[in-house]
Amino acid sequence: MYESLAVRPAGTIEAVREALEQLAARDPAGRGEVITDVRHIPARVAQCVPMPEWVHPGLAAAYGAKGITQLYTHQATAAECVREGRNVVVVTPTASGKTLCYNLPVINAVLENPDTRALYLFPTKALAQDQLAELYDLNKRLDQGNGQPFGVFTYDGDTPADARRAIRERGHIVLTNPDMLHTGILPHHTKWTRLFENLRYIVLDELHTYRGVFGSHLANVLRRLRRIARFYGSDPVFLCSSATIANPGELAERLIESKVEVADNNGSPAAEKFFVLYNPPVVNRFLGIRRSYIGEATRVADEFLRRGMQTMVFANSRLNTELLLTYLQRAYPPAVGKAEPVRGYRGGYLPGERREIERGLRDGAIRGVVTTNALELGIDVGSLDAVILAGYPGTIASTWQRAGRAGRRTGSSCAVLVASSSPLDQFIVRNPDYFFSSPPESAYIQPDNLEILLNHLKCAAFELPLSPQENFGAVDLPLLCEQLAQAGYLHRSGGHWHWTQEAYPADTVSLRSVTSDNFIIIDTTAGDEGAPEVIGEVDFTSALTTVHPKAIYLHQGLQYHVDRLDFDQRKAYVTPVDVDYYTDAIRYTQVRVLEVAADEPAPGPARSCHGDVLVRSQVVGFKKIKFFTNENIGAGQLELPENEMHTTSFWITLERALVESLPFSISERQSGMFGLLHALESMATLLLMCDRRDIGTAIGERPPAPDGAAAAPASPPEAEISSTAVDEKTVKEFYEPNLYLYDAYPGGIGFSEPLHRAHRLLLQRTRELIESCTCKQGCPSCVGPAGDTGEHTTQAALAILEKLCA
Amino acid sequence: MSELLSNRLSRLSALRPVRPIEAARQSVSNDLPASAGLLEEMLGATTQQTAYGEHLLIRQWHSEPALPAVSPAALALLAPDAPPQAADPEQWLFLDTETTGLAGGTGTYAFLVGLAWVDAGGLQVEQLFMRDYSEEHAVLTALAERMSERRVLVTFNGRCFDWPLLETRYRMTRRIAAQTPIAHLDLLHPSRQLWRLKLGSVRLAELERGALGRLDWDRSGDIPGALIPQAYFEYLRGGAPGPLVQVLRHNRWDLRGLAALAARVLALLSAPEEADGDALELYGLSRLLHRRGQTAPARRLYERALEAGLPAEADRAARRELAALAKRERDYDRATSLWAEILGGTRDGLDAYEQLAIYYEHHARAPQRAEELLGEALEALRRAWQEGSLEPARYRRMRARLQHRLERVSARTARSRRKLFDLHGGVPIGEAGNSKK
Repeated sequence: MYESLAVRPAGTIEAVREALEQLAARDPAGRGEVITDVRHIPARVAQCVPMPEWVHPGLAAAYGAKGITQLYTHQATAAECVREGRNVVVVTPTASGKTLCYNLPVINAVLENPDTRALYLFPTKALAQDQLAELYDLNKRLDQGNGQPFGVFTYDGDTPADARRAIRERGHIVLTNPDMLHTGILPHHTKWTRLFENLRYIVLDELHTYRGVFGSHLANVLRRLRRIARFYGSDPVFLCSSATIANPGELAERLIESKVEVADNNGSPAAEKFFVLYNPPVVNRFLGIRRSYIGEATRVADEFLRRGMQTMVFANSRLNTELLLTYLQRAYPPAVGKAEPVRGYRGGYLPGERREIERGLRDGAIRGVVTTNALELGIDVGSLDAVILAGYPGTIASTWQRAGRAGRRTGSSCAVLVASSSPLDQFIVRNPDYFFSSPPESAYIQPDNLEILLNHLKCAAFELPLSPQENFGAVDLPLLCEQLAQAGYLHRSGGHWHWTQEAYPADTVSLRSVTSDNFIIIDTTAGDEGAPEVIGEVDFTSALTTVHPKAIYLHQGLQYHVDRLDFDQRKAYVTPVDVDYYTDAIRYTQVRVLEVAADEPAPGPARSCHGDVLVRSQVVGFKKIKFFTNENIGAGQLELPENEMHTTSFWITLERALVESLPFSISERQSGMFGLLHALESMATLLLMCDRRDIGTAIGERPPAPDGAAAAPASPPEAEISSTAVDEKTVKEFYEPNLYLYDAYPGGIGFSEPLHRAHRLLLQRTRELIESCTCKQGCPSCVGPAGDTGEHTTQAALAILEKLCA
Repeated sequence: MSELLSNRLSRLSALRPVRPIEAARQSVSNDLPASAGLLEEMLGATTQQTAYGEHLLIRQWHSEPALPAVSPAALALLAPDAPPQAADPEQWLFLDTETTGLAGGTGTYAFLVGLAWVDAGGLQVEQLFMRDYSEEHAVLTALAERMSERRVLVTFNGRCFDWPLLETRYRMTRRIAAQTPIAHLDLLHPSRQLWRLKLGSVRLAELERGALGRLDWDRSGDIPGALIPQAYFEYLRGGAPGPLVQVLRHNRWDLRGLAALAARVLALLSAPEEADGDALELYGLSRLLHRRGQTAPARRLYERALEAGLPAEADRAARRELAALAKRERDYDRATSLWAEILGGTRDGLDAYEQLAIYYEHHARAPQRAEELLGEALEALRRAWQEGSLEPARYRRMRARLQHRLERVSARTARSRRKLFDLHGGVPIGEAGNSKK
């Protein structure tokens, strides 16, 4: 049933084997510490059912001409659901034919009734462009066969003004993105009367990307969309598709606030693949220091590139993308008169540049590409031979999604995960079974985050006056409208709330962040036209850590020194430099509890809580770190404004009895707590489907309860102000410390409550992480690097965990 | 509200006011804003009852401006697609709205709809005002009724702004149908063609001063348009009605200005060749006629504008357009002399080089002359670029065009040289070409 080794294309399989042998040779002792696991993922055969009888003969013929005469099982399930008017989410891996799941029922409905309208939402413009090509192709086949062609258009910021009217009238299928729906379509819904009156289908592609802030925004945009649809008397069916996550149905239901069926009976075939877990060789066993994973990822990529295999390298941050790009471009310079064979690809590059890279990947002109998660989604760049993940992407779902870029269609391919020294990465490569057998993570959103919800409430009022009887999330709508009226945004008249501002509310609300403040980065050296040039932008939260004064900002592999940060004008002025180091910001954080939502006793004795907190943070300095060796070669102090954020947090309170029962010195206990927090953060990002940046940590004194009752909500006295600054821990001992894991976005985006629910699992996994670590005294992979922690950190952390897990 | 909740709300940036605002004063008697009654008195307004409730109505009659009779020819120039019955000024309804913003979209309201029509030798002005958002349907109903009585809409920038906004408002009601006018005469574009060169700006107040001559009203003390939405919002929140009284006066002035402008545009278009305005106005009129395909009168008016003396830039533009008309009528003598007069590094001058080169290449059959002209043109273009009088994109486009043409002409002259060389039995013709210089 599977292709045997003998009939595999010899080129790829040989090259993969050679490359792996070279990599294994980097482990001189042969202890299997470098390549910790190689899994062969066998080919999967297709499971098909006949094309349903209700499919329009013209459409069946059009698909037939493309070679599709049967449906995979999941496609049939999805199509039947939609046909019966039920919302559905299709959950399948990369390249499993998910576009057919929505194109087939939608186009069929259009052929049955030409009044039918459908709106397709893609998380990015690029994905919409990609899908347009597929729909054009079907349309052409329908036109040539015996079916009426249908109108299909993209509607985004690039759509010319004169084409817009035709799209509104004649577009049966309109492809757009949430941002355009939010700023371009909903506020002008009267121009789209035809579409809204006949809106029967809404397609949400790449549903798993709508989590956290973006998802919370989208849920509100969809509330507005359904509200407008109701106004025109339509009640569309939602067709969603998602990469494999643990709770696609739950996520879909939270997003569209309605019942959704899950179609996950994947029937698509797949070619075989090798999945390799790679741990950089140890340099100092005592300190648990390994070679830089960025350097190692470069080396791994090199093994594949030099064998002529087209390779994609994923990095987890812009900084690392640029570092990897610098290293690889140095190793693979362009031939004379030819374009660069290795390119970078991430948000912040210009659209034209990106299209060119996509083309280059498809036609093979580009041999290697270094990217962030920008290429994780379904943009068609053809199939690659190898995928290198420089660092664990943070989630199992994302790892499979990225690995799926290798060998999308046929042939042998290889994916290599190069672990960084972060606890999570080390946990994954040392426990291969955990990774290969775990279900992927859940995705969480918080549509009722007040900051986000209020902004959409303004937009909703602009679109259609608000009635006090309406539902818009689980909030007290009349109260919020009253507040908006007091601030001058709304005015009550005739029982409705009306918009009373000249400005257009959607313009000031960005779906990609909680606040829409972005910093632009300006190169002050005169360009060709003699004027300073804007080279990029960063969002508010990353601005303070990436473009603070004296930072080295990397863009397209070039280094820029930040000369000045104009905080008020949101501008960073930079000049190009060529130095051998990069910078890393140092942040100082304090947390204060505002309101306790849940407080439960736990073994220890301890308490597991979640609720509202106020987080104050400040970037106080930075380190200079040398390229390749990662030596710390200097530091600087910074005076930047303090940032205050109201958010939600999960925390564990260690009660006095627990603290006193620990057989360690005061400073060792303190170290143990910080070590434990470090490890907890890592495991929390694993359990939640989130990025390390989505969670912040701090330790603080438990606020005294008013009358000694532990469950009483805390009033906020000054005493509870706390910090994570390392030197603080030696100053005074915490009496009853709170270990905070907070949502790193204003208002919180739904991480705290699930953490509270899963706190036992979290503690158990954290204990496994620290116990399985081979270091002697703590390392970045468990309780934090030995140099930064005190003595017996690991032991103290484990002692605390032992009590907590009792 | 609990202390925690109010604490939380106070931290939300989404609730921060855009500008400092006073607490709203609630009206005691009914749902209307506190100063609605005072406003009614100050305006001498009446409440008007419709099928969808009440709104305020303010009526005034003005003795001027009066409208001249409209000839079908003038109407055709103003609105080529309008049906003949649109020429009856009795059918005209002047319209100008005041709105809660300029952004458009579904959350922008027209809180005041100003209407005017000719009546008893003067102008009847009628303003429909919504005292609160709840009266919008009443205003829209009244407007639909007025529009069913007079079927031709006359506006200034209403095609792009007021009318689409009102159509949106009608759609938002889901029950009141908009009256579709049989013709919509929008004066913005004709005014732009006629007077932009003369006045620089074609805002209505600008036109009143510059194009209509002295009117018997003085707009000093007028409220700036940008403050109008805020004036309405403050009134809604219970503020003093004074600023709104100014807004209504502003709207009346705009309506009377609009009627006067219509009279002036029609007078010019009814007898274009009898126009006695200054050179720039004549030039504007000739451009308008030219665009509408009235080439013969356009040509005569261009000539008159040139005689009357235009500023340098307009003079070049007029010669260029006149030359284009002459060329189309195959009057190459006039065309070539016009082009020759404006050669240079300006936009029109460079175009003239190109036109002359085309003429010499294709009509006069003198490709060498064309080659010379293109060489000169490229030199003029380079100088203009160095002086910074051309933007980069235009420079690049122009250079590419001229170079492409030059290459083609040169290839042709080279070919014909070879041909002549053969014909002349091997005597190089190039020398003859050089000796011409």
